[in-house]
Amino acid sequence: MQFLEISKRYEQNVVFDHFSLDIPVQSILSVVGPSGEGKTTLLQMAAGLLEPDGGSIRKETSEEGSVSYLFQESRLLGSSTVYANVELALRRSHSSETERRQIALHYLAMVGLSGSLALYPSQLSGGMRQRVAIARAFAHPANLMLLDEPFQSLDIKLKFSLVDAFLKLWEEQPRTTLFVTHDPKEALMLGDAVCCLGDPKKPLWYQQIDIPRNARNITDAKMLAWEATLVRTLVNA
Amino acid sequence: MQRVKRNLVLLISSLLLLLIWQVGSMMLDSQILLPGIPPVAQALRTLIAQPPFAHNILSTALRAFQSFLIIVISATVVGVLAGRFEYLSIALRPFVTTLKAIPVMSIILLAFIWFSSGTVPLFSAFLMGFPVMYVQIEMGVRQLDRNLEQMCTLYEFRPSDKLLHFIIPSMTSWFIAGSRTALSMVWKVVIAAEVLTVPRYGVGARMQLAQVQLQTDLVLSWTLIAIMLTALGDLLFDALVHLAAYLKRKIDARGVPCSS
Repeated sequence: MQFLEISKRYEQNVVFDHFSLDIPVQSILSVVGPSGEGKTTLLQMAAGLLEPDGGSIRKETSEEGSVSYLFQESRLLGSSTVYANVELALRRSHSSETERRQIALHYLAMVGLSGSLALYPSQLSGGMRQRVAIARAFAHPANLMLLDEPFQSLDIKLKFSLVDAFLKLWEEQPRTTLFVTHDPKEALMLGDAVCCLGDPKKPLWYQQIDIPRNARNITDAKMLAWEATLVRTLVNA
Repeated sequence: MQRVKRNLVLLISSLLLLLIWQVGSMMLDSQILLPGIPPVAQALRTLIAQPPFAHNILSTALRAFQSFLIIVISATVVGVLAGRFEYLSIALRPFVTTLKAIPVMSIILLAFIWFSSGTVPLFSAFLMGFPVMYVQIEMGVRQLDRNLEQMCTLYEFRPSDKLLHFIIPSMTSWFIAGSRTALSMVWKVVIAAEVLTVPRYGVGARMQLAQVQLQTDLVLSWTLIAIMLTALGDLLFDALVHLAAYLKRKIDARGVPCSS
């Protein structure tokens, strides 16, 4: 997916001004940046919820069609069960009930919720709700995945377990992913590349992460150096 | 335990109310001003034993039910449309404000000029109950969670699924609040309209006749019946709500497959 010379402004606030960004197919681009610098705007434009004032967004054929969006909050239907919350996102694309059941059960099992299918969101913890949202996002047949700080406001243990669940699903079926976060560590651990926003014209910092995801360790010298650079960029933005 | 305590408090406060009534009656010492509990109970027994009793009750209940049904259907349709289309809501605002502000007696008296005595309770109850229900439904539509709506769009929910799993459940609490308030109001307005228009059968009409003949024990008996009718209506409504919730849970559970 490519953002080509896009421009976007909210009244006097110029968020993007002929801004370009390239996200290789089936890779994860982590996007970090100070608040109000266009991270969510970028996601919404990718999802088609927002039109850029200028420029264009080009998607590969394999990225066309529907998108899966993971929000900051789980956005589950309160009066539907865990199972129904996932299965409903499949109804338009899969007419066979058996097929829908298999897919929903598979992804719910992957996030460890096989035993909670009949529960309602109000009966789940915050972490479990976000797991349902992750299962729904992966079950939904989309080749483009957009993540808007989905692991924000979770404790560190829960965050790691959700990131694990996410990566397990992603490795099983890689999709072009735009991952917005405030957390530099999270960005470096998940992304194939990290982009820092803050300048409407170009990324303040763009770094390809050339260490395989499963071999990454945040205490490695290279990772620490990247983290330090990213933090410095964010502070100075 | 909590439930037992709650019921005990309810019982004590009801007994206290009866005690105040009996003490008041003894202090006034007048069967016309305020008869005591025993003569009213006796009058109630006699009333129930008489053949037109059921007819009076059924006539009032039927009028209340008809009005309630008309209110629920019309207010839901108009409320949903007004919630969706802002200009319709603005256009309806003067009507709704007028209906909310107009005294119930004015509506009944005007309706009595325009319609036959049997239609007046229906018409008056509709005009009084409609704005209450309409406002709740309109508010419910306006308060629909935009984030969930966006989620439904992004995950490509079918319109029927969006309606069944997002819109209707989100509207339920507003619908219940509106219809419960409208139902209580309908009983009061129907009986008040019957008092003024005196149709052949009806609790209000009997109340009016008893009042003309200064039979306060009968007026109080009919009042007790009116209270019981309202309470019964509320109980029935709550039972229906619980039944609907129970059935929904059953259907949901049936839709969940075994994970193994």
